[in-house]
Amino acid sequence: MSFLVLEGLTKRFGDQAAVDSLDLVVEQGEFVSLLGPSGCGKTTTLQMIAGFVEPTSGSILLDGRDLLAIKPSQRGLGIVFQSYALFPHMTAAENVAFGLEMQGVPRAERSQRVSETLALVGLAALADRYPRRMSGGQQQRVALARALVIRPRILLLDEPLSNLDAKLREEMQIELRQIQRTVGTTTILVTHDQAEAMALSDRIVVMNKGRVEQIGRPHEAYEKPASAFVAGFLGKTNVLPAAVEQRNGAAVASIGDGSWPLPAEASGRVTVSVRPEKIAFIDQADCSLAGTVRTRIFQGNHWLYQIDTACGLVTVIRQNAGEMMPAEGAAVRLTWRPQDMTVSPAGQDGRI
Amino acid sequence: MSRNGPLALAFHTLFVTFILAPILVVCVVAFTPEGYLSVPTDRVSLRWFRAIADYPEFIDAFWNSVWLAAASSAIAVGFSVPAALAIARYDFTGREALTALFLSPLMVPHVVLGIAFLRFFTQIGLGGTFVGLVLSHIVIVFPFALRLVLSSAVGMDRAIEHAAISLGASDFAVFRRVTLPLILPGLASGWALAFIQSFDEVTMTVFIAAPGTVTLPVRMFLYIQDNIDPLVTSVSACVIAITVVFLVVLDRIYGLERLLVGRGSGDGA
Repeated sequence: MSFLVLEGLTKRFGDQAAVDSLDLVVEQGEFVSLLGPSGCGKTTTLQMIAGFVEPTSGSILLDGRDLLAIKPSQRGLGIVFQSYALFPHMTAAENVAFGLEMQGVPRAERSQRVSETLALVGLAALADRYPRRMSGGQQQRVALARALVIRPRILLLDEPLSNLDAKLREEMQIELRQIQRTVGTTTILVTHDQAEAMALSDRIVVMNKGRVEQIGRPHEAYEKPASAFVAGFLGKTNVLPAAVEQRNGAAVASIGDGSWPLPAEASGRVTVSVRPEKIAFIDQADCSLAGTVRTRIFQGNHWLYQIDTACGLVTVIRQNAGEMMPAEGAAVRLTWRPQDMTVSPAGQDGRI
Repeated sequence: MSRNGPLALAFHTLFVTFILAPILVVCVVAFTPEGYLSVPTDRVSLRWFRAIADYPEFIDAFWNSVWLAAASSAIAVGFSVPAALAIARYDFTGREALTALFLSPLMVPHVVLGIAFLRFFTQIGLGGTFVGLVLSHIVIVFPFALRLVLSSAVGMDRAIEHAAISLGASDFAVFRRVTLPLILPGLASGWALAFIQSFDEVTMTVFIAAPGTVTLPVRMFLYIQDNIDPLVTSVSACVIAITVVFLVVLDRIYGLERLLVGRGSGDGA
């Protein structure tokens, strides 16, 4: 049976829908990310689960029970806030102990669980320190320990890593994933960082303007984006205009001077997106697009190309396999496999 | 921090001198051996300090002032907490009007308040009582208390309270364990500022104080109407000395800057 079920969840502020009939099913122990640009409704969704924002309509079921009927303080959810929201007048240990105190856990058990959890996040030595005397990363760990110590039914993470510098963020990503695997708590992460969502999650929910664009495993969402928006948001992509016509009973997409067979049902003017690393240089003329190398940048393990074509600038990433690569100003032909294209109706801009 | 130029330095020195000079003069004059207000030239005397003991009404008035200031400030701060939290957090109709109403005692001249309270208290049977004095002082110190409590309530991260709620805290527990400790610097500075306002107030109090409930400033005011002698300067010198000691102690245990600027909600220990 599904653990957490969001059904038709909607929140309107005035006539603006911050979240528009969101449906999501989360299994026990799963790590799910809500990913999207700012204003896409991901934080509002989290706050509705937490109980700080009341939904306009829809329902939230946790383990078969209606979560909306339960007061926020009784929901038993652990939340890590973007600002950490530690209690500044309490030490790390007191911060972590707060939730247990509220549950009326006896003192002896309380202090044991506090030190266990602080050890889990690697802060056993700093138990008596006040938050203001800790680094951002350490405060982050205290916040995580404080949320985990109450053995929450769900762990909600609201952009928990966005205030950390890039190196620390990567370390915390790995650690967060390990800790989540260790304790096995069902986790929902809100983030605008696609790399973070892909690194941490079992599944990603890509949101845009209050609506779900795609729900899927990171690899699947990256390789088979459901829309140009998802393709553009999850990693880099090239957006190319194309015209689809029927030739001999099969759909064919014309892109610039090249044409590709289309597996999907489509017609008329469409937008095709192709990942930079899926594009190769080729000598033959079929299934390829002509262009001129504008810039070529060497990045160690790969080359980054900008190619001028009839469809605009196309970015190409090629592995550095030690071969000769086209120089700047060279005339080239670009090709990719038909299954590497994502086709969406024209007018949809894949970029943000 | 930019350095001050010589011109700015001279200006600041002059300015500070101008502010401090009267206080200094009062303290010096208090040590005069003469029977009139003069700066002691050849010798100093404690004559006028000893004279305070002959006027127990000054001592009584001093305690009246202290209790009055302490009580009215405490009650004003007590009322300002819910008011400040409501104004800081909720966007309700009449919010602006309510804020203006709370701050309006700043706009009304104290002479007018004095006459109004005199008439009103006589009508309801509180004329000349200490309770009446406390009530009137609550009204005039409330804006000061509210402003400082409000600034600490506005500056508080709501997520901290949300964190407490998510950890299972009841509304009361959130307030007592999280909200109150975090706005405590604002409460303390609001109380201190309100205390000073109340202790200092003479224009309104002179109308409503009865012989048994006279405050120190009113007593001094009444005294110099009849006598021009250095007694008021020695009383002033005592008040200044007490204030200085009070401020030093406060600075040691709390940090004066934090108290008066009203910051520190982020790192209250």
